Amino acid sequence: MIDLFAIVLTHGLLALAAWRLLSRDDLDRDPEPGPPADEDAPPPRVKRGLR
Amino acid sequence: MTDYGLLLFAMGFVALGCRKPFLWVLFYCYVDIVAPQQVSWHLLAAVPLSLVVFVLAFGGWLALDDKADSRFTYRQGLICLLLVYCGCSTLVADYPAEAATKWAWVWKALIFAVFLPLTLRTRLRIEAVALVMILSVATIVISGGLKTVLGGGGYAALSLLVNTNTGLYEGSTLAMVASSIIPLIWWLARHGTIFPRHWTVTLFALALTFACLLIPIGTEARTGLLCAAMIAVLALRTVKRRFLYVALGSLALLVAIPFVPKSYTARLGTIENHEADESASTRLAVWSWTLGYVRDHPMGGGFESYLGNTLRYKKVVAPGTDAGDDTGSGYIEDKGRAFHSGYFEMLGEQGWPGLILWLTLQLTGLWQMERIRWKWKKRTGPDEQWQAPLATALQLSHCAYMVGALFVGIAYQPFILMLIAVQCGLWSYLKRIDAPAPRRLGQGARLKPLAAPPAAAPPAAA
Repeated sequence: MIDLFAIVLTHGLLALAAWRLLSRDDLDRDPEPGPPADEDAPPPRVKRGLR
Repeated sequence: MTDYGLLLFAMGFVALGCRKPFLWVLFYCYVDIVAPQQVSWHLLAAVPLSLVVFVLAFGGWLALDDKADSRFTYRQGLICLLLVYCGCSTLVADYPAEAATKWAWVWKALIFAVFLPLTLRTRLRIEAVALVMILSVATIVISGGLKTVLGGGGYAALSLLVNTNTGLYEGSTLAMVASSIIPLIWWLARHGTIFPRHWTVTLFALALTFACLLIPIGTEARTGLLCAAMIAVLALRTVKRRFLYVALGSLALLVAIPFVPKSYTARLGTIENHEADESASTRLAVWSWTLGYVRDHPMGGGFESYLGNTLRYKKVVAPGTDAGDDTGSGYIEDKGRAFHSGYFEMLGEQGWPGLILWLTLQLTGLWQMERIRWKWKKRTGPDEQWQAPLATALQLSHCAYMVGALFVGIAYQPFILMLIAVQCGLWSYLKRIDAPAPRRLGQGARLKPLAAPPAAAPPAAA
């Protein structure tokens, strides 16, 4: 029962991760760089753990 | 039921890989760690799953993947050298049949460690490999952790998914790996994009960390505890709120100690009083034998060369142990005892050249991660926040492994070779994207040069 729980939980997450990766173009190529930031604009706020 | 579930999962993953072949690489990582063909007793067990998935992963990369950004790093070269050296030592091994059996899995792990960094061309791929590695280990760790909580632990008694003593299903190895993945779990929880930062992700990371810490207790493997302690101390170097970290850590320790089983604390006591512990005495005797052996065989004796040892060591029974209050002593004779240390395993099997190669591979990994950390930790760009923490996490995991390898024969552990491969991939990726790039005067954050199209304008004059 415990083994089954561990298998279902982790394999479910693995399957979900694989599914999400399918729709991510940046898996095969990093995104194009954005335009340079406006120098008059305030600096971007850096958050901890920003994704 | 489990059998059909695993089969469906495998078929699904393979099918999804038809759209994104990199998923086959991820699936190989999963197969190598979990060994579902061993968990399953019927359907998957009938298929040479590892071989099939490796062919898919390698073939998919060879035929379908863009290789323009793939780089071959010198550490991959070191792994190749080690592979060739091990192959040669197997040909002249002291115990050819046994050496061939070990060679059969070691070469695959080494080849995959050379191959994996070639596929890690994007940030998301690096993250995806780390995630699959963690979730795969989690399959074993969650089950082991829950059983420990419910009282099913004990030295060599914790029943894992598979009743075998190989790979990650061996108690001490699992305890070491479980402790060493904790920094990676938290990197994924904070910087992950596949499962972005969310309270559910944090909750899962907390629960998984707890399960990881339970594994050294459940398996009663002292090495795992040493690895966890090593990570806890080294993390002090990078945590932001050191005082809070120490206070919470001490509190957690105080709360946890009363719940630790007596058999475990008794076993921990033998760390201090190692003379009374047969396993420690055996280790010292084997290590001393190995040093003598390489004096005569400086190039090593090939895989499983320990089979030639005959050990005679003195066992001292300490006062107050189960053997009685009187201190007694006697000699124990033993044959063919394993090295019980990755370092001595390498020395005895591959001699001084093999040990030097292996140590170079390990130490350059720590050095590369340190370089990345220093280079990226002060950057403030929105896309520059994940690199230094990942390097730190990989470095901490590697340190834990190097401590664990002092007492467990895990010199060729495939999971750690995979970790080394991720380090190579990260090093090569960051080196590539951080190549001289367009940078405008007065601009604090660096521009991201990686995805610039081939025909991009030449770098602006600084």
